[in-house]
Amino acid sequence: MLLPSLTKRSASQLPYLHQYQLPVFDFLAPCLATRISQSPRLHFSTSRRRRRAEVQSTDNGSLQATSPKVKTALSDEQRKFLESALRVNQAGELAATLIYTAQTPPIVKAHPHLRPLMKHMYDQEAGHFSTFNNLLAKHRIRPTAMYPVWQFAATALGWTTGIMGREAAMACTEAVETEIGEHYNTQVRVLLGWLEETEKKGEEVPEEMRELVEQIRKIRDEELEHLDHAVGEDAKEARPYELLTSVIRGGCRGAIWISERV
Amino acid sequence: MATRAPNLSSHLLYRSILSKPPTAAGFPKILHQHHLSSPYYSSAFPTEPPYPPTESEILSAALSRVLDHGFTSRALSLGATDAGYLEVSANLFPRREFEIVLYHLVRERMRLGERVQFAEEGGGRTVGARRLGVGEKIQSLVMGRLRANVEVGVQGRWGEAIALMAVPSNVPPSLQELARLADEIWYLSGDTSVDGSWYTKRASLASVYAASEVFMTQDQSTDYKDTEQFVEDRLRDVQTVGSWIGNTVEWVGYTGWAGVNLLRSKGFRI
Repeated sequence: MLLPSLTKRSASQLPYLHQYQLPVFDFLAPCLATRISQSPRLHFSTSRRRRRAEVQSTDNGSLQATSPKVKTALSDEQRKFLESALRVNQAGELAATLIYTAQTPPIVKAHPHLRPLMKHMYDQEAGHFSTFNNLLAKHRIRPTAMYPVWQFAATALGWTTGIMGREAAMACTEAVETEIGEHYNTQVRVLLGWLEETEKKGEEVPEEMRELVEQIRKIRDEELEHLDHAVGEDAKEARPYELLTSVIRGGCRGAIWISERV
Repeated sequence: MATRAPNLSSHLLYRSILSKPPTAAGFPKILHQHHLSSPYYSSAFPTEPPYPPTESEILSAALSRVLDHGFTSRALSLGATDAGYLEVSANLFPRREFEIVLYHLVRERMRLGERVQFAEEGGGRTVGARRLGVGEKIQSLVMGRLRANVEVGVQGRWGEAIALMAVPSNVPPSLQELARLADEIWYLSGDTSVDGSWYTKRASLASVYAASEVFMTQDQSTDYKDTEQFVEDRLRDVQTVGSWIGNTVEWVGYTGWAGVNLLRSKGFRI
């Protein structure tokens, strides 16, 4: 008869319940504690020195955390940033090689003196492309799902501007390299920020990260060199200059936005 | 009566607390963030284990009970007891028996690299002395993964696992795990291409694997000879179709460029 009213009372009002609750939840405590200490991951920083455990298959094959050790770790946000950044870079270099491939025959036919320049720029782009291909394979990052679309779009862009003439082709190079240069600059800035923070905490910066920053820096400098060549070859003389460059730059930004996501 | 009532009610209260699967926001979140993929794989940075120790212990103990009890809540409860926890700890897993299946899939995917090793890498179970082609590596990796079900002792009950994976709410995590397995197999085979074929390769391998897994549940032959033949045939089919498509694309591209060059030689400015 008392039952209905009593069952509605909360557990805290029944002191003897604690002896039951404890054995149920105490084994959760270590698990909860470590989870909570790691949970705030919503910002871009390596400032929290987190204890990570390495995956190890024990004899019975169960996946367990063993001997936690302090090591500079990448947060999920950092991994995601690297993943999408490298994917975009690969897509960009793919497009660049195809643009130059398609531009070269009509341009070189009309202006044979540009052959060495076109070859020089193409070779550098091909080098960048293989650098990013290797990085993607090494870090197991999927290429963009728009791969065939970019292949088609880049060839079409290169061919069209190539047929339009030397100035248009150079304006195309100028527009693309401006966008790409800015894009690489942003990446270098973010990566250098990470390195600085890691060093400030006195943690060791993995060689891999330093190498990556150097690679991206070198590639950015080469892209900006192409920009200078393009301006030197009368890119500004292209008609209609404003329309052409703004359309191409808008297209680049759109392609970057999409490749970051899919 | 007055003295007994609190005791009885507390018992009921206690039971109602424990018998409900935990639906509070905290539990599933704690459990399932481990299944997230980790983009940007790198040996220079440590990776988190996919399961925390407690869950790992309970689930691997539950797996060894699967042969007798199937992929059931019973196996999960027995696993919790075997691992030295209260039987009710099985409530930790809101997806119940499916959690055992998923744990098995994750664990065997991560152990595949140790299970099947190739001659040039040295050590472990080597397959032949000469260098194997990617196709042969894929085949032995697929067979290695299928045989893992036998070695762990769940092959006799694998039909139940497939049924569980086909439950609508379990389909997305199952497919995700299948995709990761396909990626792992291509990675272990040493394939490093990152072009447009990346997706088609993984999709076709995943379909072959899923079909082989279903075939294997019906296989009565010695040492799963029929399954081995099935895997070989399916992989060859996929390869044939793949190379046919590849050749066609190559031919179209070649012919197209030949046409363009012909026009160029005639003086067209294209």
